[in-house]
Amino acid sequence: MKHRLVKLAARAFYDDITTKGDNQPKTGRSDNRGIAVVVLDALTRRQWVREEDLAKDLKLHSKQLRRTLRFFEEEKLVTRDHRRETAKGAKIYSAAVAATADGHPLKEGEEKIYDVIRYRLHRMKKKLKDELDNKNTVQEYICPNCGKRYTALDALRLISLEDEFFHCESCNGELVAESDKLAAQEGGDGDDNARRRRREKLKDMLQNLEVQLKPLMDQLTRVKDLPVPEFGTLHAWEARASAAVRAANGDSGAIDPSKSSQGLGYGGTSLPFVGDTKVEVDFSGTEGKGENIKSETESSSLKVLPPWMIKEGMNLTKEQRGEVKQELRMDGSSAAVEFSDDKKPTVENDDKKNIQDEYIKAYYAALLKKQQELDEAAKKEHELSNTHSLNGVSDTTSNRQVGIKSKRDEDEGDDDVEWEEAPAAGNSNENYKVNDLNVQADASGDDEDDIDWEEG
Amino acid sequence: MFFHIVLERNMQLHPRHFGRNLRDNIVAKLMKDVEGTCSGRHGFVVAITGIENIGKGLIRDGTGFVSFPVKYQCVVFRPFKGEILEAVVTMVNKMGFFAEAGPVQIFVSNHLIPDDMEFQSGDMPNYTTSDGSVKIQKDSEVRLKIIGTRVDATEIFCIGTIKDDFLGVINDPAAA
Repeated sequence: MKHRLVKLAARAFYDDITTKGDNQPKTGRSDNRGIAVVVLDALTRRQWVREEDLAKDLKLHSKQLRRTLRFFEEEKLVTRDHRRETAKGAKIYSAAVAATADGHPLKEGEEKIYDVIRYRLHRMKKKLKDELDNKNTVQEYICPNCGKRYTALDALRLISLEDEFFHCESCNGELVAESDKLAAQEGGDGDDNARRRRREKLKDMLQNLEVQLKPLMDQLTRVKDLPVPEFGTLHAWEARASAAVRAANGDSGAIDPSKSSQGLGYGGTSLPFVGDTKVEVDFSGTEGKGENIKSETESSSLKVLPPWMIKEGMNLTKEQRGEVKQELRMDGSSAAVEFSDDKKPTVENDDKKNIQDEYIKAYYAALLKKQQELDEAAKKEHELSNTHSLNGVSDTTSNRQVGIKSKRDEDEGDDDVEWEEAPAAGNSNENYKVNDLNVQADASGDDEDDIDWEEG
Repeated sequence: MFFHIVLERNMQLHPRHFGRNLRDNIVAKLMKDVEGTCSGRHGFVVAITGIENIGKGLIRDGTGFVSFPVKYQCVVFRPFKGEILEAVVTMVNKMGFFAEAGPVQIFVSNHLIPDDMEFQSGDMPNYTTSDGSVKIQKDSEVRLKIIGTRVDATEIFCIGTIKDDFLGVINDPAAA
């Protein structure tokens, strides 16, 4: 429901925005009005998204999309984060990332959008009201002879010594105030009438504005008291997305498919390295050197951090970093060698090992949980059987003892079953992982894990 | 609004001023040159309050003039949009009136004068309310709000309004 605000605003304000340069011929086909609305709508359904991916999804040319996004960035609706993916230096700017600063889980975005829309409405109303009261408006004067226009700011040059009127600089004609001229054209009978008509027009406009933007304002008031959804910076978001995937693995819960796929798509890029080296945006062409230096002198960075580099992004724990690092192995392996050489000289081997360790750890964790569940189930079963036996045999105390004892037996039995199964499952998982290391995205691997848990 | 800032200027000095009171000569010339001027960037230089330092003089080829880089503290006045000023009316005509707040000229067009004030032409043109209780004429003092500024390299011009709460005549020259 929170998208509604963005959607309404998009339709109200950005309906007829063309993102075209003026030099291009305007043909019917290249008319891209409404694209802005489409893009904004699409962004409401996403969180952080890569520009190229968005372009592909919308079947738009990436250039066109970028232009639209830049426009929205200027309008403060969208946050973009630029990042270099220096995989062989080939994809230098391709990692420019557009984040929607709207949609649900966006912190700055939603906050900002709310303010942007409110400000816009305020300005619209203020302008009309000012105009209505003749307040804060710069009076304009027109020369009826040559049509030259002046504003009140030119007044000093326009006063003449002979009379009390303003005179045109070029033809020395007597200037008239703009609204007066309107009146003269309309055959109105003087200043007052014209002014009145103008006021009526303005009043109409103001009323229309109130009526037409009512849904938007209602939405604004509805959203006002809601907490701003957390979204954070790109890096924080990435970390959280990948962490969410991890967590989803652990408790074998349903993974939100869109989120996990996005998160993993992002996990594939160089998040932890960026986090380590604190290089988020690099406009200059000297990124290679700079990053190395920074990674070495990480602790001594006294620079003022831009707002998107807030602490969240760097407060990743070692574990988190490690976790995410594994996800980097496919896309980022080459980059990893470049960036994290001080930490991990033999990245690939380490990675593999880490992955295996991690999997075993996760596996045992899940196993333990499963076991507990089974125990509980067994307990229940026993209680049932106890009641049965209670019916059959008279002595209750002995039954209880039997129950306890047999429960233990059951436990052991459970364990046996589990342990027998465990290595097999683990092996299959790990084999699968290792084999797939170079082609398979993380999501599918995790999904497999889930299925395994279910079976186990 | 007034600011106390440090500015720098190259002073060219004729050799005849050299001597034991070279410094005084430089300062005197600086005051003569700078005070009362207007730059679009800083506004009107109202007064020099002190000299920060005078650099090494450089003899210009051919002329014998020496240029000294001088750093000086000064008070500048720069009007801003939205600022409230008190000003003295200098001229009243059908289009509105002109007023001065120190060095800055302000024009208030008749659209920005309250609707109940009518223009009265005559020997002493003025704007008067229908009951004659308030009158704006030459030498009246008014409080006005600046709603627009035009800043050129050497000139600042403002337009103002008195069509707002607490704005308008603040004394009556006839009564005074």
